[in-house]
Amino acid sequence: MKNTEALEQLVDALRCLPGIGPKSALRMAYHLLQHNRKGAAALSSAIANAIEVLGHCSLCNNFSEEPICSLCASNDRDASLLCVIEMPTDLIMLEQTRSYDGMYFILMGKLSPLDGIGPKDIHLDRLLKRLDTGLIKEVILANNFTVGGDATAHYVSELLKSRGIKLSRIARGLPMGGEIEYVDSGTLAQAMIERKTINH
Amino acid sequence: MAISQYRQENQRVYILHTYPFKETSLIAELFTEQFGRVAVVAKGARRPRSSIRGMLQSFQVLLANWSGKNELKSLNGLEWCEKLTVLEGNALMCGFYLNELMIRLLPRDEPYTELFHFYHETILALSVGEELTIVLRRFELKLLQALGYAVTLDQDEDSNPIIPDKIYRYEAEYGACDLTRTDHGIKILGKTLLDMSKDFYQDKETQQQSKQLMRYLLGFYLGDKPLHSKQLFVDLQG
Ligand SMILES: [Zn+2]
Repeated sequence: MKNTEALEQLVDALRCLPGIGPKSALRMAYHLLQHNRKGAAALSSAIANAIEVLGHCSLCNNFSEEPICSLCASNDRDASLLCVIEMPTDLIMLEQTRSYDGMYFILMGKLSPLDGIGPKDIHLDRLLKRLDTGLIKEVILANNFTVGGDATAHYVSELLKSRGIKLSRIARGLPMGGEIEYVDSGTLAQAMIERKTINH
Repeated sequence: MAISQYRQENQRVYILHTYPFKETSLIAELFTEQFGRVAVVAKGARRPRSSIRGMLQSFQVLLANWSGKNELKSLNGLEWCEKLTVLEGNALMCGFYLNELMIRLLPRDEPYTELFHFYHETILALSVGEELTIVLRRFELKLLQALGYAVTLDQDEDSNPIIPDKIYRYEAEYGACDLTRTDHGIKILGKTLLDMSKDFYQDKETQQQSKQLMRYLLGFYLGDKPLHSKQLFVDLQG
C-alpha cells in the first residue's frame, strides 16, 4: 500500500509517546490530518524547534534554551537548598506549592534495579559536580514513594554521606483534608510509622 | 464452562516486579502462596486515580483476586492484608536482588508454597535489620533446593561424610569431591559445607566461602546474563 506510506510513518512516529499503542496512534493521526491540519503543522514545527534549541541546564539538568536556566539564574532563590526530584513535572508541581524557594536537581528518571536502569542513567555525576561547588548546605530528596524512588533516595544518600551536607527527605502522610476513614491502609500505616512528636 | 476454576480470590501474594503494559496498564509479576509465580495484567493501574496504583509495590503481603486460564491473567482486586513492611537502604537493595533471582529462576504457574513462606520470613528478616549476608545466603540455598537442584552439603559425591578440615572441590550438579578428581567447580573447606548444612553462618570464613559457593552455583543456573540488581550493589560499594 504505497499510497498510505506517509500515514504509516506518522502512526509509527506517534507511537514513540509513552502509553500510546497502535490504535491510539492511528486515532491521533486521523484527527490531525482530518480535523486539525493547522495544529498538525504547528506541532511538527514546535517539535523540530524544541529539538533544535533545547538542551539541559548545566546546574539543575532541566530542559533549557540557555546553558543556565532562568530558575537557576534567578537571584530570588536560596542557593543553599537543593531539592532532588525525578522528573521536570515534579518541579512544576513543587513550584505550584509556592512553599519552596531553593534550587533543584532533576535526575530525569529513577533507579530501577530489575530493569537495568542504574546510577549512570540518572545523571548522578552531574549532581555530584553540583555539590562540589560548596554552596549547598542541605539536600532535600523529593523522590517518589515507590520502591524505585526509595532505592534512588538511598543511592543518593550514600553518595552524600562523606560530604557533610545535611540531608532530608520530604515527609509523607495523609493528604490535605484527608479523613482517616477514607485513606488507604498503606498511607495510614506510613503515617503511623513516621508520626511526628508534638511534645514529650 | 467452569469459569470458577480459573478465578482465584483472596490469595496472599507478593509483587516481584511491575512493568508498563499498553496505554494505562501494568503487568505485575506476582509470587503467590498457592500458585507460585503468576503474571497478571493490572488494567488501568497507571491511571492517576487508579485505586490500586499505590498498592502495586514490592515487599508487602497483599490479598489478590485474579482470573484467566492463559499465562497472562487479569488482576481483579488487590487489598492490604498485613503490617506494612519497610525495607530501607541496603536491605531494600537485597530485596531487589531476591526478586530478580526469583524472576530469573522460578518457572511460572508452579506452586512453591514452602518457598513463599521462606521468602516472607526473609523479607521480614531484611526489614528488622538482620545481617544481610547471612539472610541472602540462606535464601539463595533455599531457592536452589526449592527448584529441585541438589545442593548436598553434608556428604561428598560418594556419600562419605564431609570432613571439616579437608579442602574439597564443589561442582554444580555433582557436589563435593576430592581436589584431585576434577578441575571444575570451586575449592571449599569441609567446615563451610557442614556449617551451611547446619544453617550456621556466624564464622567469618564460612560467610566468605559460602558466598563464593552460592555465587558459583547461581552463576551456573543463571547462565551468562548478569543480574542487574547485583551490578547496583557493586556500584554502591564502589
Ligand atoms: Zn537550571
